Amino acid sequence: MSETVQHLNFFQDTGGKKGIWAWITSTDHKRIGLLYFYSLTAFFLIGVLLGILMRLELMNPGKDIVEPQTYNSLFTLHGVIMIFLFVIPGIPAVFGNIALPLLLGARDVAFPKLNLLSWYLYILGALMALSTLLFGNAPDTGWTFYAPYSVRTGTNVTIAVLAAFILGFSSILTGLNFIVTIHRMRAPGMTWFRMPLFAWALYATAWIQLLATPVVGITLLMIAVERMLGIGLFDPSLGGDPILYQHLFWIYSHPAVYIMILPGMGVISEVIPVFARRRIFGYKAIAYSSLAIAFIGYFVWGHHMFTSGMSGPARVIFSLLTFLVAVPSAIKVFNWVATLYGGSIDLKPPLLYALGFIFLFLIGGLTGLVNGALAADVHIHDTYFVVGHFHYVMFGGTGFAFFAALHYWFPKIYGKMYDIKQATRAFWVLFVGFNILYFPMLVVGMMGMPRRYYDYLPQFHIPNLISTIGSWIVVTGLIYMIMVLIQGYRKGAPAGRNPWGGLTLDWQTDSPPITENFVEIPQVTEGPYEYK
Amino acid sequence: MNFRILLSILMVGVFSASGQTFDPKKFSSDGPVGIYEHLDEILPNDIWLVNQDSTLVNLKSLITKPTVVSFVYYNCPGLCSPLLDGLAEVISRSDLELGKDYQVITISFNPSDTPTLGKKKKHNYLKQIKKPVDTASWIWLTGDSVNITKATQTFGFRYLHQGKDYVHAAAIMVVSPHGKITRYLHGTYFLPFDLKMAIVEASQEKSGPTISKVLKFCFSYDAEGKKYVFNITKVTGALVLGAALLLFLILWLKPKQKLNT
Repeated sequence: MSETVQHLNFFQDTGGKKGIWAWITSTDHKRIGLLYFYSLTAFFLIGVLLGILMRLELMNPGKDIVEPQTYNSLFTLHGVIMIFLFVIPGIPAVFGNIALPLLLGARDVAFPKLNLLSWYLYILGALMALSTLLFGNAPDTGWTFYAPYSVRTGTNVTIAVLAAFILGFSSILTGLNFIVTIHRMRAPGMTWFRMPLFAWALYATAWIQLLATPVVGITLLMIAVERMLGIGLFDPSLGGDPILYQHLFWIYSHPAVYIMILPGMGVISEVIPVFARRRIFGYKAIAYSSLAIAFIGYFVWGHHMFTSGMSGPARVIFSLLTFLVAVPSAIKVFNWVATLYGGSIDLKPPLLYALGFIFLFLIGGLTGLVNGALAADVHIHDTYFVVGHFHYVMFGGTGFAFFAALHYWFPKIYGKMYDIKQATRAFWVLFVGFNILYFPMLVVGMMGMPRRYYDYLPQFHIPNLISTIGSWIVVTGLIYMIMVLIQGYRKGAPAGRNPWGGLTLDWQTDSPPITENFVEIPQVTEGPYEYK
Repeated sequence: MNFRILLSILMVGVFSASGQTFDPKKFSSDGPVGIYEHLDEILPNDIWLVNQDSTLVNLKSLITKPTVVSFVYYNCPGLCSPLLDGLAEVISRSDLELGKDYQVITISFNPSDTPTLGKKKKHNYLKQIKKPVDTASWIWLTGDSVNITKATQTFGFRYLHQGKDYVHAAAIMVVSPHGKITRYLHGTYFLPFDLKMAIVEASQEKSGPTISKVLKFCFSYDAEGKKYVFNITKVTGALVLGAALLLFLILWLKPKQKLNT
């Protein structure tokens, strides 16, 4: 296909604006996606820094570097920043924004201005959350803001809670945008079942964002109201009910776990067929399992509360439902592995990260079942086993999927290729470091070490020491990975339209894509993974 | 919360006024004084009392519409006057009409009170109501000790004779048109809204107006706080689900627009 007219790519087309204005007033979905990417990365690095400080404190028993109160603020802000500023918006806000319209063959998302607004809300909420670090006493409640402590503590909880509320709005708007985009803006010929699986995953995610986020919004607002006006909602001494808080919080926050992981699974479903050169195994099963996870995910929140006061039958039902939600997740894993079987596998960094995802998510998912089993949970509740489990799911799962997406779409976004060999090495450093960092947590949790203390008994020393050393390796891997990507951005060779040989529509346009993505909207005649 | 504090202070006041020391045992569940809710109990047919015009009446057959019942005695130095004041005030402030939407029955549990005294009291309290009402719909009853015991036991209203006076608690009870006890509102001060909700509940056997059904969905009785509370979780949940369903239906049913190239 030869072109006579030169179209400007989205970096070159500034819309007649200068410098930063060309970015922060742009409604181009790719520019907004990159705005998200840069801001998310900044917050992620702050979160990493806080995590490193925690690991340093836990290197030896007793006080190492920070006071107990400081440690309480560290784990609160590490949680708030990582969950609300990185993992929840993560893949949808960055790669959803950039890739969804490309994958659908659309010129933009359905509501470009709303898209920009949601970024501003995100930044507003993020700045409010970070301001608690700098002014007054940083919140010390943990990212869950459990009442009644969050109502009584003298720290800056109100601002942190309002920040999470505003971030929730950003999430709702993004979800709404994606739902309408997927319903309305698919290219001609792209039926629901010719849609790339990443779009299916984003679709399921968007409904959770839309339906579950208002719950936490109202709940957090209720905390703010209780703190400022003294109305008894959750604090028993004011006539409130702390268990009600936990229910409301987890009615959002458990589905939110699927907001975090579903888009990651979508990314993996894109990457694997491209690098195995095979049609994905069980397309419909993967698509429907996304919807099933989103649906069942609404009814399992009680498994966070097995030890906090719930009737026996309720606990049994929540436990059973928790086991059920593992079924669609396992369906996906089996389908990915079946896709790889017999394929001509090309071990490029995106696939490595995808395989890393499968391995780590498997550990995270199976330890999740241990938590979901009633009797086991009573033993390991609030121990480091839980901390290990959710880091395997969120960092090993969503985090690695994020890196997979980054390495997969990097040449599309910037039009240049990073050094494949170096990126592969960075992956191995990160992968090894990850397991050294988090696997000891599972062990030490089984031994009975409780979470959220700045100190521990001497018998837990060795695993904690190993874990802290692992954290240094992880940071080394992260820095290495970022350096390789920056180097690729600055000096990489031109990547061309389709460096990986993908069949989805995103690879059929220029790299970087032109403004409005396609010269002519493509006609779709078959499914997205028809490798022959 | 404030209600109960107020009530406790009032009751402590009553005890000290009648020379009693405050005894927490009186408030325990098996104590002789207090109001033990007999919700869903149907009034018996055999309670015969005398109204302020000295006519013998059957309590159950008096009740043909939602009815607010209160127990007092006429020479009461403590709690009864605040209770009746509160009742008169809520009748004035409520947008429900006494006589049309509901009626009020005040029963003396002192067997030596007379209908004549009841008539005088009725006259006094009607004067406190600051809007035109159907005066026949606030009925003042007296009775002999057998019938009074039957009535107070039906409502779970327990009191103690102390010299000239009685130790007792304060509440109004709402009875449905079929004689079923549907709600207790405790204390001596009542919000018009709480009264309205209680009356709506009592009359629901008779299919209330739509607006009341909406009210019923959005507000429920908080047994701890002894008042109706706004169900923020239920209401916002319903709104969010409704909005999401609407969005889905619009996207699903409205045909896709042709995209301009």
